[in-house]
Amino acid sequence: MISFSNVSKLYSEDGAALRSVTLKIPTGDFVSIVGQSGAGKSTLLKLLSAEERPSEGSIIIDGWDITQIKKWQVPYLRRQVGVIFQDFKLLPKRTAFENVAFAMEVGGAKTKEIRDSVPQILKLVNLLEKAEMYPNEMSGGERQRVSIARALAYKPQILLADEPTGNLDALHSWDIVQLLIKINKLGTTVLLATHNDDVVNALKKRVVTLSKGQVVSDQEAGTYKL
Amino acid sequence: MTMIKTSSWRILRNALQNFQRNIWLSLATTIIMTLTLIMTSFLYFLNVLGSEVLNTIEEKVDLSATFKDDIAEDQISIIAEDIRSRADVQEARVVTSEQALEDFRARHADDPFIEESLRELEKNPLPSTLFIIAADPRQYQTIASELETERYEPFIESVNFENSRTVIERLIAVMSGVRNIGLVTTVVLASLVIMIMFNTIRLAIYSFREEIDIMRLVGASNWFIRGPFIIEAVMVALLSVIVSTFVLYPVLETINPEVQRFFFSGQAEPFSIYSYALSHWTTVIGLEALLAVGLAVFSSLVAIRRYLR
Ligand SMILES: Nc1ncnc2c1ncn2[C@@H]1O[C@H](COP(=O)(O)OP(=O)(O)OP(=O)(O)O)[C@@H](O)[C@H]1O
Ligand SMILES: [Mg+2]
Repeated sequence: MISFSNVSKLYSEDGAALRSVTLKIPTGDFVSIVGQSGAGKSTLLKLLSAEERPSEGSIIIDGWDITQIKKWQVPYLRRQVGVIFQDFKLLPKRTAFENVAFAMEVGGAKTKEIRDSVPQILKLVNLLEKAEMYPNEMSGGERQRVSIARALAYKPQILLADEPTGNLDALHSWDIVQLLIKINKLGTTVLLATHNDDVVNALKKRVVTLSKGQVVSDQEAGTYKL
Repeated sequence: MTMIKTSSWRILRNALQNFQRNIWLSLATTIIMTLTLIMTSFLYFLNVLGSEVLNTIEEKVDLSATFKDDIAEDQISIIAEDIRSRADVQEARVVTSEQALEDFRARHADDPFIEESLRELEKNPLPSTLFIIAADPRQYQTIASELETERYEPFIESVNFENSRTVIERLIAVMSGVRNIGLVTTVVLASLVIMIMFNTIRLAIYSFREEIDIMRLVGASNWFIRGPFIIEAVMVALLSVIVSTFVLYPVLETINPEVQRFFFSGQAEPFSIYSYALSHWTTVIGLEALLAVGLAVFSSLVAIRRYLR
């Protein structure tokens, strides 16, 4: 369970990126977050990965209040909260396999564990046969799948996807969304921030709409409307 | 526990990779660091040598008084006894002119020219001498002044003390001059080490920034991110300690005979700076390692604080 209570975020004095957001997301939920550019979607996700701190209110993940999280605790939070981005953020000089292994190494996994798990994860995202390829040898959709594989390296409870289909054509986008659904079915809570109305409408899952930092609508099996 | 072991191994491996990727910069840092260590060790040995030389000179300070030609042996004995009874005098030994001549003959027994010259002399040219050893080296001055008073004026030709004191003073001056130059050089070199290390690490952080951002993203601990930079610096430090040790000891062994000839000639067991360095190797290498690792950790921490948030 993720719970936001009256969360506000001010980057500067003259405007709030988020205003008194109160939101409850049960474990295993799949939530799309929509809204115009600048509405605060990315900010909402960044608060969950502790990339940013809220100015007001509290955020609690499974009883863990991450509002005042200490600097040294951030890595532990990040291992429970996977993130993927529009621009993938892969290491260009490492293969798909190595990119995923890198995340596991960072977390202190044993070498044998890495050797066993990485192929499994790559298989889950349907990339096993491209394990030895470098990012620039892959299509955008494939790169995004590598980055999802990397986010899954720790078997996170939550996956934050910030416009993961932003750089992809319709076909590849749908591919990625299918993958997110699959991961969600395996038990991971998924938060998807997106501009893609086709995707949101086809999902028929919960939709939270933000406008100027406020939640203006929250529908089960909702549709994309601004 | 195994997780810590695995991580430590990876941090070490990453540090080695950093070292390899910046091989020229790493080697340059190693060289400057080595020079700093050699300079510091040189200062250390200079200090040891200095105090050792002063010791032997203090031992050698023989305050002596030569008697006038025609003073009777009885009179000489009385004066010797007089001096000997002073609290600040440890020993006062008389060498009569006959004895002095005999000694001189014995020393030059195989020199026919000196033998010849001595035979031609009608009168013994060597004076009777009183050799004095003070209880404490600092008391020589007082004793010398006493011997120069009117009381002894009729008997004593000259008091020989000034010479060795000026030698000591000159030696102290030279040593402290060399030490000051050495200190300045060390400080300059050490600053250079800090600057180079700082910049090496800054460059490394810059070239790894993408990796570092992604490490943070996937939950790398601070130690995992910073460790390699600090370890790399410490590796350079330890390498410098090894190199400087391999330079220092052969150099000491080579110059040791010269040093002995110069400072400790005529001694039965002259002080050997090389044996000293060998028997004190833990101190020498320990001090070097302390300095090197200290400099490395300091510069890497400063760079990391500045450029790794
Ligand atoms: N680091 C920052 N410093 C200052 N202001 C920021 C920062 N990040 C975001 N903002 C501001 O906060 C507001 C919300 O930004 P946010 O990135 O959350 O929007 P978004 O909904 O993700 O938009 P987009 O759809 O364009 O990605 C915007 O007005 C933005 O200018
Ligand atoms: Mg955004």
